[in-house]
Amino acid sequence: MDMNDPLRREEKRESTPDREDSGPTSPDTSRPGRDSILKRMKKVDPKQSEKYKQRTGQ
Amino acid sequence: MRKRIYGIETEYGLLVRGSDFRYDPVEIANRIKNHVFSKGLGVLDLHYRANDEPPGNGGFLANGGRLYLDMGHLEYASPECSNLVDLVTFDRAGDQLVQEAVEELGWAENVSIIKNNVDLETNATFGCHENYLVSRSFPFDERDNLKLLSAFLVTRQIFCGAGRIGACNPHPFRDWDGVSMEDEEEAKVDFQISQRADHIPNEFYRWVQYNRAIVNTRDEPLSDPSKYRRIHLLVGDSNMSEFATALKMGTTALVLELMEQGKAKRDWILAESVGAMRSISRDQEFKWEITMRDGNRTTALELQQDILETAKSHLAGFNPETDWILENWASVLEDLPKGPEAVLGRVDWASKYWMLGEFKREENLDWHDSWLKSQDLEYHNLNKASGLYWGLEESGDAFRKTSDAAIEFSKTNAPRGTRADGRGELIKALMGTHAGYLIDWIGFRLSKNEEPFLMLDPFISYKSEIRDYLKSMDLYPNPRNQTDLPPAKDETASKRK
Repeated sequence: MDMNDPLRREEKRESTPDREDSGPTSPDTSRPGRDSILKRMKKVDPKQSEKYKQRTGQ
Repeated sequence: MRKRIYGIETEYGLLVRGSDFRYDPVEIANRIKNHVFSKGLGVLDLHYRANDEPPGNGGFLANGGRLYLDMGHLEYASPECSNLVDLVTFDRAGDQLVQEAVEELGWAENVSIIKNNVDLETNATFGCHENYLVSRSFPFDERDNLKLLSAFLVTRQIFCGAGRIGACNPHPFRDWDGVSMEDEEEAKVDFQISQRADHIPNEFYRWVQYNRAIVNTRDEPLSDPSKYRRIHLLVGDSNMSEFATALKMGTTALVLELMEQGKAKRDWILAESVGAMRSISRDQEFKWEITMRDGNRTTALELQQDILETAKSHLAGFNPETDWILENWASVLEDLPKGPEAVLGRVDWASKYWMLGEFKREENLDWHDSWLKSQDLEYHNLNKASGLYWGLEESGDAFRKTSDAAIEFSKTNAPRGTRADGRGELIKALMGTHAGYLIDWIGFRLSKNEEPFLMLDPFISYKSEIRDYLKSMDLYPNPRNQTDLPPAKDETASKRK
């Protein structure tokens, strides 16, 4: 496969319609995909951030 | 508009679950690296590269990139790429090489590769470095030009920041002692849009670990120094979104082009960059107000729009990639004020902010609850089965810039159009042989020959020359790989136009 293969086109998705003119708004709770994301989130170990012991790099 | 070469270096974080896991993080990183090379995906260094890089510390990959250990972190440097699609593809290929190693070692339940830039508990930070090749005549020595670049980098975080909970009020890791820095009160920050903003105390500096700067001024071209300069930036966050990676690198390349053409406006210079970087990142109302050198007040969004309009005026129509950058830069700036959902999958901080907000409400949590911080980390987990970013891909909300097939191909094949192609050829020929070698970005030397083979022009593939060179030493074709090699054809190097 050529790395410039035109078959590797990006997939552009339409953004969610505007609801207000300025500033972040409260999320639309009916958004598709929300439930599956929350399902992933509930499986996350609540203490894992305390186990993430990193060194300073560059 | 000139041709560019792009590269990304990523330092990965490593999360070990379970206190009784048999290896410590440094040993885990070492074993992941060794596993990748033991699969025949590259060749380990046989020589010292530096005092802290002994033989075997890392090596070059068949895809032309490099995997190594650096300051306790597993690090992947992409090969030199001539376009944004290749860049995103090879960045992703590196992610997958290390994630697959974790899975093949049977550690997926215990070890997570986290592609972020900060430890929320200790405030340790580690980088994502961007590389852009420019001509030696690039006006890098003039102070105002550096300030122009700084103004762009400080404000681009509104669309390429990866976001984080909390702040580093830099006491625990005060690695910039002695550096001028405003004393500020312990700010209570729930969420900020950049991971690195709190860790950049200088506007200009040449070093990369201490006293990090918005514009790194180190002059290390890794190519012919009479022709080229490498702009090496360490101010950015690692992005999970392919779109964000492409837009971050693409817009920066356009601004470098404006600077090189003398079209960048002095009006863009900020009154003070380091403070602005932090105040934009920490602004809880997302107004992103800034003060310009002339005293005028504006916002990061308006400044970016002005830079975009200038880029459109001078660079539109140059090629499809330039137009992609201009079109999508405009769309993101237009959509950012509409709220995080409007840029879901395109802007990492907004995607994370939306997820965390939903979860916070669902579980009635405080912003600083450790469960929410754990979700912040999980956004960057490269494990597709659990990492939160991958949930966006699963639901179709992630904006792809490449494809899974291209990423798979790019784990073992180098990009075309740069010297990485020739390097990939070399690596494949050396795998499984007993030849001695010394390889670096700018060339290599084999034990059978005292003379180094130099690859000083990153725009030249050197592929046919390297094949001829290897043939003269009975190292090509590599009998072990003969069935994998395409027939030799005229790979005349494409010189820079």
